[in-house]
Amino acid sequence: MKFSTKLALAGVGIALLATVPWWGSAVLVQFGINALILATLAQSWNIIGGYTGYPSFGNSVFYGLGGYGVAIAMVQYGLPFPVGLAIGIGLAVGFAILLGLPVLRLRGHYFAIATLGLAEVMTAIVSNLEIAGRNVGLILPLVKGDVLFFELSLILLVVTTLAVMWISRSRFGFGLIAIRENEQAAAVMGVNTTLYKILAFALCSVFAAVAGGIHAYWITYLDPGSAFDVALNVKMIIMAVFGGPGTIFGPVLGAFVLSAISEILAAKVTSLASIFFGIVIVAAIVFMPRGFADLVRRFRQSGWRYFQENIRTYRV
Amino acid sequence: MQLLWQILVNGVLLGGLYALMALGLVLVWGVLNIVNLAHGALIMLGAYACYYLFTGLGWDPFAALPVAMVLLFCLGYVIQRYVLNLIIRAPMFNTLLITFGFEVVITYLAQIAFSADFRTINPSYAGANFSFLGATVPLVRLLAFAVALALTLGLWLFLEHTRIGRAIRATAQNLIAARLYGVNPRHLYALTFGIGAALAGAAGTLYGVVSQINPYIGSGLTGKSFAIAIIGGLDKSIYVLAGGLFLGIVEAVTALYIGPTYTDVVSFGILVLVLIVRPTGLLGRTA
Amino acid sequence: MDDILEVRSLTKRFQGLLAIDHVSFALQRNEILGLIGPNGAGKTTMISLISGTLEPSEGEVIFEGVSIRRLPAYRRGRLGIARTFQVMRPFPDLTVLDNVAVGALFGATGHSQVLQDARERAQRWLEFVGLDRRAQQRAESLGGPDRKRLELAKALAMRPKVLLLDEVMAGLNHVEIEEVITVIKKVREQGISILVIEHVMKAIQSLSDRLLVLRNGEKIAEGRPQEVLSNEQVIAAYLGTKRHE
Repeated sequence: MKFSTKLALAGVGIALLATVPWWGSAVLVQFGINALILATLAQSWNIIGGYTGYPSFGNSVFYGLGGYGVAIAMVQYGLPFPVGLAIGIGLAVGFAILLGLPVLRLRGHYFAIATLGLAEVMTAIVSNLEIAGRNVGLILPLVKGDVLFFELSLILLVVTTLAVMWISRSRFGFGLIAIRENEQAAAVMGVNTTLYKILAFALCSVFAAVAGGIHAYWITYLDPGSAFDVALNVKMIIMAVFGGPGTIFGPVLGAFVLSAISEILAAKVTSLASIFFGIVIVAAIVFMPRGFADLVRRFRQSGWRYFQENIRTYRV
Repeated sequence: MQLLWQILVNGVLLGGLYALMALGLVLVWGVLNIVNLAHGALIMLGAYACYYLFTGLGWDPFAALPVAMVLLFCLGYVIQRYVLNLIIRAPMFNTLLITFGFEVVITYLAQIAFSADFRTINPSYAGANFSFLGATVPLVRLLAFAVALALTLGLWLFLEHTRIGRAIRATAQNLIAARLYGVNPRHLYALTFGIGAALAGAAGTLYGVVSQINPYIGSGLTGKSFAIAIIGGLDKSIYVLAGGLFLGIVEAVTALYIGPTYTDVVSFGILVLVLIVRPTGLLGRTA
Repeated sequence: MDDILEVRSLTKRFQGLLAIDHVSFALQRNEILGLIGPNGAGKTTMISLISGTLEPSEGEVIFEGVSIRRLPAYRRGRLGIARTFQVMRPFPDLTVLDNVAVGALFGATGHSQVLQDARERAQRWLEFVGLDRRAQQRAESLGGPDRKRLELAKALAMRPKVLLLDEVMAGLNHVEIEEVITVIKKVREQGISILVIEHVMKAIQSLSDRLLVLRNGEKIAEGRPQEVLSNEQVIAAYLGTKRHE
C-alpha cells in the first residue's frame, strides 16, 4: 500500500474518530479514551523500543510522573491543568536524561530489567512521599464531559504519530535505526549514539507523560500502583510489537486491535475480563511473533500455513 | 546492639527464603534462556496449594510442601512442554512477553478461585519462639530457613551429581551436548521448567507460613526474585544464596533504620545500581 | 612527506593479555600501507584502537597532527577515519542503499542533512563498488563478496581521509581479488590514505607502497615490500602458517 494512500486513510480515520463522542455510547467513548491513551503509549514506546531497539520496561515511569505532575500541581498547589502537564513533562524528561545516561549503556535484556527495576523503585519512592499522598494517592478535581478527554487523547495520539512520522524520514531517525541494527557500526560511521539514545528516550517520555496526565485527570484519581503500573509497560510493548515496531502506524493498529479483541471477548463473558488479554498475548506470541505487519505481508504467500511456519521456526 | 543482632538474625532467616524464591527463576533463565515473568505467580500458587491442604485436609504445612512442589512441577512441565517449547528458539524478548501473558491468566484464575482476601497459614506452633544468643527466633521462620537451605543444597547436588542434572547443565551450554546424554530435549526442557516451578512452589509454601498471601502477590515477588538473581549473579546456586541473604539483611536493616515502607526502594535501587555498575552480579564473573 | 595518521607507542592490555605492545608507525598521506602478520598478531585490535572502538592502555593516536586518543569513535568517524569490519556488519533490516546512506548522513565534513541527498550520494558509491543492481535488496540477503563490497561502500560514503580495511579479500576468488585491488587503487586516486590488513600475500605485495609486520602485538618490520618480505624475522614469523598464494 502506498504511503500516500495510508496517509489518506489515516486522515479519514482521524476525522471519523473525532466524531465518535457525538454518536457513540458512553461505554464506547470510555473504551475509546482508554484505547487512544494506550495507543499513544505504544507509539511512544515505539520511539525507544521500535526505532532505537532498546526495549524499555520503564515507560510507565514517565506515564506516572505525568500523572503525578498534574495531580500534585492541581491538588496541592491549585494550578491549572496545562501547568500540571508542563510540570509532568518536565519531571519525565528530567528523569529520562538523568537515568537514561547510565541505563542506556546496557544492552538488550539488561536494559529491559534495569528499566523494570526503575519502575519498581519509582513506585516505592512515590508511595513514601507526603506530597503525593503516599500510598493513598490523590483525588483530582472533577471535570464533567468525556468528550473533552476523548478529543484531547485523540489529538495527543495524532501528535505522537506525527512525531514518529518525522523520525522515520529524518536524519535523526536514520541514526536511531542504525543504532538498533548495529550500534558499534553506527558509532564508527559517525552517529553520536549516546546523544541520540538519550534524545529518543526523552522524546518518548514527553508523550508518555502527557498521556499519564490526561488519564489521571480523566479518572480523577491517582495512586502509585495504578500510576506506575508495571503491567502497563508490558501492555504497551505488546501492542507496539504486534502492530509492528519501527513502523509509523503499526503500534496504533496493534493497540486498537488488541484492545478491541479484549473488550469484545470480555463483554461476552464479563467475569473473565483481563484473562482474555493474557490468552491473546500467549496465542499471538506463538502464532504471529513478528506482528501484524509481518502477518499481512506473508499471509499472501503462505496463507494459513504462515502460523504453522512460525511455530516450526521457533520450536525446540 | 541487641536490636541490630535481632535485625541481622531476621534478615538472614528472610534471606534464606528469598534465595529459594529466586532459585527457580535463575535455573530457568540460565538453562532455557527464558525470563519468566510469571515466576511470582507460580510462587503464589504454591502458597495456595499449601493453604488448601492445610485448611482443607489439616496437613501440617511442612508436610504439604512436597505435595505443593509436585503439583507445581506438573504445571510447569505442561506449560513448558506444550507452550513454551514452541517458542524456545525465538528471541528472548518473546519469552518475557509470553510469560507475562501467563501471569495475567494465572492471577485472574486465582482471583476467581480463591477470592481476593488475604490468607495466612497458621500452624499450631506458629507462635513458638526460642532464643539464639539473645535474639528471638520464631520457630516457623527457622524451619522455613532450614527447608530453603536444604532445597538449595538439594538442587546443587542434583545438578552436579545426577545424570539428568548434568544433562540439564549441559543444555545451558548447548543443545547438542545435551543430546549426548540421551535425553529427549523437549522432555529435558520441560523437566527444567518443572523443577523451576517446583522450587517456586516450595518458596510459596514457606512464604505462606511466614507472611500473608493473596492472588496479587505474584508480580511483586517476581520483581523481588529478579532483584535477588541479578544482585547475586546468575552463574551458580551459591550466588543466588548470597544474593538472597544479602537482600534479606539489607531489607531488615532498612526496615529498622529508615522505615518499613522503604524496603522496596532500597531493594530495587540496589538492583538498578548493580546493573549499571556490575551487570553480572556482585559475585558473578565479569562478562 | 606528510603523515596523516601517526601511532606512538600504542599499547593495549586485555586483563593481563598484552595484545599490542608499544607499537609506533605512521601512515603517509595518500599511501597504501599494508598491515600483515600471523593470526592473533593484533592487526584488528590495532584498527579498533585507531577507529576508537577500543581505548588504548597507553600511547597516542595522532590524526593530522592532533591527538585523537580521547575522542569517541563517532567523532573520529566525523573527522575522517573510516573502517570496515572483518566480521561484516551490515544494518540487516535496511536496504543496501540505506546502509550506505547512513555513511553519507553521518560521515565526515560535508555530510548530508537530507535523506534524499544522502541516498543519491549512496547510489553513486554503490556504482563505484559495483553493487548498484542490488540497491533495493535487504542487506541481510547479500552473499559474502557482495557484503564486502557493501562494507567498503559504507566506509567510502563517509568521505574519509583515512580508510582502514580489515581483510576485505578473505574468501574471494582470484577474479574478485583483482576487482578489489582495482577498487582500492581507485580509492587512493581520490586522495584517500589507506591502511590494509590482508592475508592474501600476493595481493598485498602488489597493492602496498609499504608494509608493516606485527607479531604477538609487536612491530617486527616496516618498509618496502621487497625488503620486508625478505626479512628473516618476518619469514620466521610465518613459518608454519605460510599461505600458498
